[in-house]
Amino acid sequence: MKFSKQHLYIIAGLLLITACKPEIKKPTPTHGTADFSRYISIGNSLTAGYADGGLYLAGQQNSYPSIIAKQMQSVGGGVFNQPLFSTEQANGSGYLQLTGFTAGGSPIITPVTTNLAIRAIEPVPGFGNVTLYTKYSGDIENYGVPGIKLEQITYAPLGNLNGYYERMLPGDFPTNTTPYLAFITAKPFTFFSNWLGNNDALLYATSGGAGDVLTDETVFAQLYGLLINTLTTPNANGITPKGVVATIPDVTSIPYFNTVTVGAIVAGVQKANPSVQGIYINALVSGTTYAPRLATANDLIVLTFPTSMIGTLVTTPYGQLPYGLTPYSPIDNQYVLDANEVALTREHVLSFNNTIRAAAASKGLAVFDAYTFLNNVKESGLIIDGLGLNSTFITGGIFSLDGVHLTPRGYAIVANEYIDAINAKYGSNIPLANVADYHGVLFP
Amino acid sequence: MRKLLLLLWLALPVCAFSQGFQVNLEGEKQIGMGHTGTGTLLDGASVFFNPGAVAMLPENYLQAGISPLVFQSTFNPYGTNLEYHTANKIATPFTFYGVWGPKNAIWKLGMAIYTPFGGLTDWGDNWAGKYALESLDLKTIYFQPTLSIKITDYLSIGGGFVYNHADIDLTQAIPLSNANGQDGQAHLNGTGKGYGWNAGVFFKTESGVTIGISHRSGVSTDFSGNAVFSVAPSVQPNFPQPNGFTSTVPLPATNSIGFGFYPNQKWIIAIDANFVAWNVYKALAFNYTTQSSALVNASFPRDYNDASSIRLGAQYKSSEKVAIRFGGGYATTAAPNGFVTPEVPDANRVYVTGGLGYKLANRLDLDASFEFEHLLPRTQTTIYTGLSGTYATNVYIPGISLSYHW
Repeated sequence: MKFSKQHLYIIAGLLLITACKPEIKKPTPTHGTADFSRYISIGNSLTAGYADGGLYLAGQQNSYPSIIAKQMQSVGGGVFNQPLFSTEQANGSGYLQLTGFTAGGSPIITPVTTNLAIRAIEPVPGFGNVTLYTKYSGDIENYGVPGIKLEQITYAPLGNLNGYYERMLPGDFPTNTTPYLAFITAKPFTFFSNWLGNNDALLYATSGGAGDVLTDETVFAQLYGLLINTLTTPNANGITPKGVVATIPDVTSIPYFNTVTVGAIVAGVQKANPSVQGIYINALVSGTTYAPRLATANDLIVLTFPTSMIGTLVTTPYGQLPYGLTPYSPIDNQYVLDANEVALTREHVLSFNNTIRAAAASKGLAVFDAYTFLNNVKESGLIIDGLGLNSTFITGGIFSLDGVHLTPRGYAIVANEYIDAINAKYGSNIPLANVADYHGVLFP
Repeated sequence: MRKLLLLLWLALPVCAFSQGFQVNLEGEKQIGMGHTGTGTLLDGASVFFNPGAVAMLPENYLQAGISPLVFQSTFNPYGTNLEYHTANKIATPFTFYGVWGPKNAIWKLGMAIYTPFGGLTDWGDNWAGKYALESLDLKTIYFQPTLSIKITDYLSIGGGFVYNHADIDLTQAIPLSNANGQDGQAHLNGTGKGYGWNAGVFFKTESGVTIGISHRSGVSTDFSGNAVFSVAPSVQPNFPQPNGFTSTVPLPATNSIGFGFYPNQKWIIAIDANFVAWNVYKALAFNYTTQSSALVNASFPRDYNDASSIRLGAQYKSSEKVAIRFGGGYATTAAPNGFVTPEVPDANRVYVTGGLGYKLANRLDLDASFEFEHLLPRTQTTIYTGLSGTYATNVYIPGISLSYHW
């Protein structure tokens, strides 16, 4: 038959076409004017991958620097080592887990206390207890140290006072003398990210303005200048490292201060006792003078405040009084960042951020404006790939169970913000991470 | 007092129908000729293409065809080097036509069963857009009894009633991770029904050119079925089970005009233009039988535009027994910028077709066709899901049919 051959050609042709999937042209990978061959990350707990009130292996593996480093692979990124906990001690410092909800819908949060990497708890006179962790002895590219302040980067005894830093150092407690700045710059690097400075304001805030102090604005500016100058000094191979820095979030943008509110507490009390007018706090007047007054919506209550204490009888010079409900038995200072303390913290954060932006501009560094980003998330939420995210505790998807640090999903979003900033500054095209691959809070 | 209202934002099933869901595979002869057929008289498929032409058919027909298709879509999320592909699943649009009338009568009866809308997109549960959609399998089957009357030798009219039976199966990831980090899932499975009509008119001009005009009405289809939400046990109470859903989807009306030209005994050339009234598709809403603070009725904007297509095709009879066909067309997208979704990453599209007819016996035709459809790459951010990236889609459609005529 004349047509069988033709038929065959057609069928063969059809099979060929069917075999190919549609292709999409993607830009050629380029590192632009940056060199990612040794990327190091500098920062605090956020940089270390701290989450759910602790530093543990799964959190470290989802740290934003490790996500950035992974994405840098296609544009000349090198090996990225993190001071990981071992799988036997995967729970590191211990962390918080969501184990259920009460009948009223409140989350039940339980600490994980097995498979920890704690090797000792040492008292230091005049300082307090220092928790020491199993040493890490390999190479390090992620220098994130939970708890570190910018103020401490030249402080020689830090290696004996911060257990997370101690575990990175070759020497043992209490003999360490290497300041953080010297430690991170000991080996040449080509690119850095720096997110130091949060703790210079945050630790004051999370302690309700009672357990810590704000870093002096001038000291902050001096040390930040020193840090950036040191990081951008040409290394032994003659390469001037490039980098990205991040601003400090407004402390009030995190669920740690927005979940337990004065209004909610008062409403709860009034359910049982409608005559109650409000709750009393010990509020900053000026300088170091505190005085009790009724709390308002501008006073922030910390996430860890045990609300069951409200109304319990406590001993005061005026006799047994219900806790939080009289001016003589106000809520303890450590649980409240009152309006004046909020203002003080904000003023410092704004000043710190001006310092950071100016330093970055003077050295031509990329900037991830975490301050603006997290404020926007708080104001209007974020929609990514069909995911609705916001700053709400637990259900928001971004913040972990401690209300300060992020979920893997939150860290992936932050990594992408860094990548956008780097690409825009250096003409590179580090591919973005797929946010949907990273999970939010885990529900039992 | 650390009480939390578990208000879970959830973009629940977001399903779209677009030009991509208009299947346009309604007869192998016509597919071969660029899917023209409004203004020509080829076979029983006229019941679909133009009920007005049925009375002009020279014979009675009984025919069935199938066009298994593979819809291959690729998605590249914005700013990434990732690529996701839909699974190679085969959808099976089919047709059945019967046309009967007494010899030399002025009327003919027709019956058509065909699948004018549908879609099979399976992106899997591990892609960037899983919270917008994992997979969708939509089928519609239209049943259309038809009557056509020849008014004069040059003019015939016809009309039919349409009953639509539809099936839908849709899955979507829910962004609530269980203890192992796995997502929850929403799974909607149901059936739908709707009614409509169509009508057409067919002219034979003195010059020999044939002209057809047809209207297929919109078919508002009401879906209902089971809604299964699987999430971590601690949050399951927020998603009441068992649960059901209802949704109404306005399948759009189509107006067509077509011309047939007959340069000589061997050639037929056909042109069709179609206008699809997609602007009826303003929003997609899902109502749930049992709701909760986390699971509320949802409505998603679609804001579709009317779409149109132009088609051109030809048939060449190389011998008594063999016909060779070819054609192609261009269709504009119904989805405006910002409303393109992964169910059908709709875009302007071009397609080419080819076909072969062979007379197996005096009254029996075998027709084969092939269509290759290419959706132009489109870079989009869906406004309300934020899913951002570039889609590219190819569709491969072989088809075969058998027609008995007397």
